[in-house]
Amino acid sequence: MTPIDTSIYAAVSAAIRAEAQRILTEGQVSAVVGYTAARRKGSAQPVVITDANDAARLIFTPACVNNLAVYLTKAKKEIPKKGRIGIVVKGCDLKALTGLMGESQLKREDLYLIGVPCAGVLASTFDPARELTADSIAPKCSECDAHLPQGCDFLPPQTPATPALDRKYAAEIARLEALTPQERWAYWKEQFAKCIKCYACRQVCPFCFCEQCLCDRNKPQMVETTPRPAGNTAWHIVRAMHLAGRCAGCAECERVCPMDIPLNLLNRKMAKELKELYDYEAGFEVNDKGPLTSFTEKDDQSFIK
Amino acid sequence: MHPDKPKHAFEPKIIAFVCTWCTYAGADLAGTSRMQYPPNVRVLKFPCTGRIDPVFILKAFQQGADGVLVSGCHPGDCHYIAGNFHARRRFAVFRKLLEFVGVDLNRLQFSWVSAAEGGKWVEVVTELTEKVRAMGPMSEFKELALEEQWSGAINTAELKEAYNQI
Repeated sequence: MTPIDTSIYAAVSAAIRAEAQRILTEGQVSAVVGYTAARRKGSAQPVVITDANDAARLIFTPACVNNLAVYLTKAKKEIPKKGRIGIVVKGCDLKALTGLMGESQLKREDLYLIGVPCAGVLASTFDPARELTADSIAPKCSECDAHLPQGCDFLPPQTPATPALDRKYAAEIARLEALTPQERWAYWKEQFAKCIKCYACRQVCPFCFCEQCLCDRNKPQMVETTPRPAGNTAWHIVRAMHLAGRCAGCAECERVCPMDIPLNLLNRKMAKELKELYDYEAGFEVNDKGPLTSFTEKDDQSFIK
Repeated sequence: MHPDKPKHAFEPKIIAFVCTWCTYAGADLAGTSRMQYPPNVRVLKFPCTGRIDPVFILKAFQQGADGVLVSGCHPGDCHYIAGNFHARRRFAVFRKLLEFVGVDLNRLQFSWVSAAEGGKWVEVVTELTEKVRAMGPMSEFKELALEEQWSGAINTAELKEAYNQI
């Protein structure tokens, strides 16, 4: 399989460490959220650094898949919300932060963005110590349009290798769209039947920050909460609908799903439709109105009698 | 007085989510004008189409609706200025999602019916009812509601072996 050049990651790691140490020492930020090595060989996990001496623990490798933006939402309490916070961001993570800024969840001046020139990360199904190839790369990276995050406070000067890869989601969406409704229903029925309602997809999503989720309410109960096919289907449809126009495709939902449901497929389909209908792409600029919270008088209404 | 109602093998259940200012008044006009339309439709009144959450449509299908109609004021006529504009975008996107999941969109109809359009209401309801009647019952969501995830059935060789060892 074609290997993907990740030789710049060592230099990028060194640059992240130096920058984190500098901003912590100078007191510009109260904490830096980044990645550190985990116990399993080659693996990485998120870390919050508050002491400049610990900045040497920061790394960036193909195993750094997590979207750290989720730690800055109000649903998560791991990070004290005081002062400016430094955060290590890949292009896809920055899109989530941009969306959160548009929804008034974060302020740009409260963040110190340490960008990462990213050639791609490993799919979660592979050994974290494995070499990054066109085969082992995460599906989201095969469609990446943000290898270099824009508008960061600090960005290492390296340029990532970005070979053209097969667009895995686009191919799968096209395959499903070509089926009949009955075949698509059979496909999704099988997928949703696997769901165990662990809500890991909701927990990991930067945009699922509601303090009370509609799907947890029982008066009135809109979505059945038990892990039965009816409730599962409703949950996944509601989830896709609530993320439409907001999700920028970090694919964390799909990565954390213990039952391997292709969740990002629904999100990518919605993104594709919003691009076609309203020429809107999430994550590139801070907009206080998304495509579903705004309108024009000339919107398409060919489907309405 | 009324012509004899034709007998059908299947009477579809149609749920109509309507806005109180236009379509509800339009349906009321159809009634006071003594226009005839299929009694299959159950009308639910909302303040505005902007209040109609896509999850209501989902719930209707789950609870046994064979067809769903969503109807409100014409663009520009919204009592709350822009409710129907927001609804228009939301439903345009929700339709695409349902289509991708495999729901036949012929069962879901959107329309603009003003308070003066009693005739249009009759037309829309009749057309949807006949369309859904021809399609037969909506079984997909109903089957899901009856299915159990963990049935307890010992239906594989591995399960049988494990059961026999207890």
